[in-house]
Amino acid sequence: MSTEQSTSLASRIGGGLWYGYVGLVALFFMLPLFSLVIASFYDGQIFSFPYEFTTDWYAKALASSSVQSAVLTTAKITIPVTILSTIIGTAGALAYTRHEFAGQELFKIFALLPIFFPLILLGLGMSMWANLTGLGYGVLPAIIGELVWISPIVMFVVSITALSVDPNLEEAAKDLGADTVTLYKDVILPLVSDGIVSGAIFAFVLSWNNYYIVSYLKGSDITVTTWIHGRMTQGFTPIVPALASMIFYLSLTLLVIAVIIELRGDKIKAALSRD
Amino acid sequence: MSTIEKLQHQLGTAGDESILRTLARPPTVFMIPLTVLLVFMFIGPILSIVLYSMMPSNALSLNPATWTVANYAEIIGGVIDGTGVYGEVMSNTVLISVATTLATLVFSYPAAYALARKIKRFKLLFLLALIVPLFTSVNIRVFGWVLFLVKRGVLQSLLGQFGIATPSLLYQEWTIILGTTYVYMPFMLFPIYLSIGAISDETFEAARDLGASRYMLFRDIVLPMSKPGIIIGCLFVFVLSLGAEVEALLLGGGSIYTAANNISYSFGYSQNWPLGSAQAVGLLIITVIAGIVILRTIDLREIASRGS
Repeated sequence: MSTEQSTSLASRIGGGLWYGYVGLVALFFMLPLFSLVIASFYDGQIFSFPYEFTTDWYAKALASSSVQSAVLTTAKITIPVTILSTIIGTAGALAYTRHEFAGQELFKIFALLPIFFPLILLGLGMSMWANLTGLGYGVLPAIIGELVWISPIVMFVVSITALSVDPNLEEAAKDLGADTVTLYKDVILPLVSDGIVSGAIFAFVLSWNNYYIVSYLKGSDITVTTWIHGRMTQGFTPIVPALASMIFYLSLTLLVIAVIIELRGDKIKAALSRD
Repeated sequence: MSTIEKLQHQLGTAGDESILRTLARPPTVFMIPLTVLLVFMFIGPILSIVLYSMMPSNALSLNPATWTVANYAEIIGGVIDGTGVYGEVMSNTVLISVATTLATLVFSYPAAYALARKIKRFKLLFLLALIVPLFTSVNIRVFGWVLFLVKRGVLQSLLGQFGIATPSLLYQEWTIILGTTYVYMPFMLFPIYLSIGAISDETFEAARDLGASRYMLFRDIVLPMSKPGIIIGCLFVFVLSLGAEVEALLLGGGSIYTAANNISYSFGYSQNWPLGSAQAVGLLIITVIAGIVILRTIDLREIASRGS
């Protein structure tokens, strides 16, 4: 009995060490974001203790007309990108996961390849291409450019959900006489809807936070990330951390929602498999 | 019936209409938007990089008659005999990428293992903390590091409270590696996490019943089974850190130049698209090869079955 106790103590300490290490890694991942938040609430240019709390920088960031116009420009890019990449990516995922056809793997590799590209490479190539083809620079080229990187990510996310759907359900629906439109509208799309919603949230957050592609294609328009980048290299003002923190809060909220949706899906799946 | 016969048959019976109908039916109709998008805005830009790289210096339009390998000669010659910045830029870039790949592997592996096998409570919270940075703009995160490390920044103020004086931490080579390690670590952690998570509990129980020690479990099960994750992670991190620009710019303060800095300088300040393109072609080739290897290794079906 005493040996049992000692092994359980040892495994507890071992377990604690694992938790400690993962906790440290999680802290490392969040550290720069915490630094932003700390700086955004600090009253003054240079740190010293005691910490003087203020929300002034947030008020100043929100009142700044250049910030307002950057937010507006970003929204003009992000909203179409979210809608279009969700449609394009979902369609690609359905083609790849719910059908068998010649060249299927080739389609997967081609469609997902942009995910693995360093964004600077995509941005530079797109910038020259936009000049060459007369597409030009501005909101529309930025939308098309972001779609190239974000649609494949949506396709990846929706594919994962679609592949976990039982293909027998589709067969059953076909046997019961469902035509192609009914099959998609009433069977497949509802089954993968959680994946589509997560994909759309990812698309929104990634587009809102995109810097590289937008910086090469935006022309004279200023988006939130390029505004921040411009100010960052010009010397410190706490308005920058305040605005960056607000983006962080928004992204965090949306991602928590995406995770909850995924979790809910898993619970439903678990309940189905139990019955 | 062979495909050609089938096609002839279809053409014979229904004419062009049936081709249109095939195009309008899944899966073809679902592949059209993505394919059109990528051919236009992905293949097109890649082609422009390749074509511009063979144009004379400072050319802003493509002229097939003037093609040249002068840009390549300048870069390769510069790397070999040390003229210009190319040799230094290349060694900086390779050093940063190799160091980043090793650092992310060493720090990710235990965390990925713990998340897959040891962490049960608060797992979602940990995963969220690891995912959130991925969705925050790179320059915002790197700026967060600047605020943390800068003179009289968050770190110095905190340590100063305890009377610990620290030297300036920014603008050094290791600070860039800290930044790239930070930015690209998720791309190492998640593939390894998924590959270790794929090992079934039964495998572990069976091995334990057969008397395997902890070391043997690790050497004969965990390590071999996580190999695909390690390979994907290393390729991912190596390629992405070759393209690291913001990290070097903000954390290195312009004191250390990487290939990505040099490329974007050629495009931005010196307006020399052909020279920038020629430098980008090397990165492009490595990216395409690594991307195809990664995608051939990834089995979406396997990831999906693990998630549920």
